[in-house]
Amino acid sequence: MPFAFVDTLTENFDEFLRGFGITVQLVVVSFVIAMAVGTLIAAFRVAPNPWLQRIGGLYVECFRNIPLLVLIFISYPGLRRAGVDISAFVAGVASLGLYTAAYVAEALRSGVFSVSKGQIEASLSLGFTYPETMRRIILPQAFRTVISPLGSLIIAMIKNSAILGGSILALDDLLKTGRVIASRTFDVIPAFVWAAAGYLILTGLATLAIRMLETRYAVKR
Amino acid sequence: MKTTRWLAVLALVLGLVLAGCGDDEEPSGGGGEATSTPAADVEKFDAGTPLGDIQEKGEIVIGVKYDVPPFGFNNPKSGKVEGFDVDLGQAVADKLGVKPKFIEAISDNRIPFLQDGTADLILSTMTINEERVGQIEFSDPYYIAKGRILVKKDNSDITGVDSLAGKNVCTALGSTYEATLKEQAPDAKLKLVDSYSECLESLQNGSVDAISTDDVILTGMIIQDDSLKLVGDELSQEPYGAGIKKGNTELQEFVNGVFDEYKQDGRYDKTYEKWVGQYTDTEAEPPDMTVDEAVELVKQNATG
Repeated sequence: MPFAFVDTLTENFDEFLRGFGITVQLVVVSFVIAMAVGTLIAAFRVAPNPWLQRIGGLYVECFRNIPLLVLIFISYPGLRRAGVDISAFVAGVASLGLYTAAYVAEALRSGVFSVSKGQIEASLSLGFTYPETMRRIILPQAFRTVISPLGSLIIAMIKNSAILGGSILALDDLLKTGRVIASRTFDVIPAFVWAAAGYLILTGLATLAIRMLETRYAVKR
Repeated sequence: MKTTRWLAVLALVLGLVLAGCGDDEEPSGGGGEATSTPAADVEKFDAGTPLGDIQEKGEIVIGVKYDVPPFGFNNPKSGKVEGFDVDLGQAVADKLGVKPKFIEAISDNRIPFLQDGTADLILSTMTINEERVGQIEFSDPYYIAKGRILVKKDNSDITGVDSLAGKNVCTALGSTYEATLKEQAPDAKLKLVDSYSECLESLQNGSVDAISTDDVILTGMIIQDDSLKLVGDELSQEPYGAGIKKGNTELQEFVNGVFDEYKQDGRYDKTYEKWVGQYTDTEAEPPDMTVDEAVELVKQNATG
């Protein structure tokens, strides 16, 4: 029985590797989108202009309160029917990236609010502009306090990537590969255990990276 | 004041919920249509045997498709699942003198459902093949579908299985077409989804170029959307069998008996006309074939 387990991996290794590669691509591109858009939206939410705050708030409420699967249906079959020639991969990473960005924005915003208002006032009175204050004084401190919550969001995002392959996008990601192998070989449990191992590699690496960042930037207490 | 308003809302919601329940229960009395057989026919099986256990429970759990007209689909008008497979399931339940409980079984989970006991019987457009015969028992084939290709009417590139190279082709994950297409159209890009309704959506929105699966399923799609057409020759023969848990030969023989009777007493012809014949202008051809012969027939698919 243990050998049969290993056989499932060795006999389908190329396929598993391909699925793993697609999941890595999905995760990396979604991560970049989530961080870039998330930071921008967080900046909107803490900006002094009430209209920017409202736009930021609207973004967060929209993307955080709609299920990821619904976003996928809007972004792929919906946009395609509207005549937009979007590919399954782009629709997938856009959905996952923009969805996660809403959570990232909220985490960053809470980080910014953890820096006392006095520092902003002090910085402005010293002649820094508002964007400079944000970039040089507030955000570096904010990022430090949100490393740990951001880590949880990234791990959640890696796991949410499995929804992309299972949906109408029909991407051949790691979970989908596991399902295809399970349905072909009927070795259902080994196929999914190896898929789980693939996700553990990714979440494990993410966890390690977050630990390193935490030890490096931690506030000495 | 505030409390009374809340109570009013609560009462309204409860009223709606109860009204909803009432609607559900009403048609169930007249369900099953003319296929019901008098209870007097029912043979009692000993407790402890597979059939006796089902009779003791009073219901047989049957996995069917919910989105594959005309075999198993949720009819929005009646709110019930209907179709060719459902009628056959009803016949098996009637013969046992129990109620059928239909649950949704997609291509990917129907065999696990039998293995873990979630379903007693699977009637979900399942082709009999060698790999599956190793996993579960099959009834004798009750229908033989043919593999075809469906494209949009304005598509002139794809004329058959030979012109699928480089094209996106949709089929269901866990279906026999995964292997058939890899064999006959190795350069086609397969898009595997959970259900044929997702394939239809993908073809309509242009993210795939073609769907390949059983002719009857594709015909069901054309009935829904007449901007689609079938192209090319048959790429495979797909004898459908009812799936039963491995080793449960008692239920297997029982189901075979029900199907034989169904074919002989004219009910098969009526069901065929109701679900397939009236749309395709074809006569019922009930298959007369054993499971082994069906396996041989499917083996020829790979060679084309």
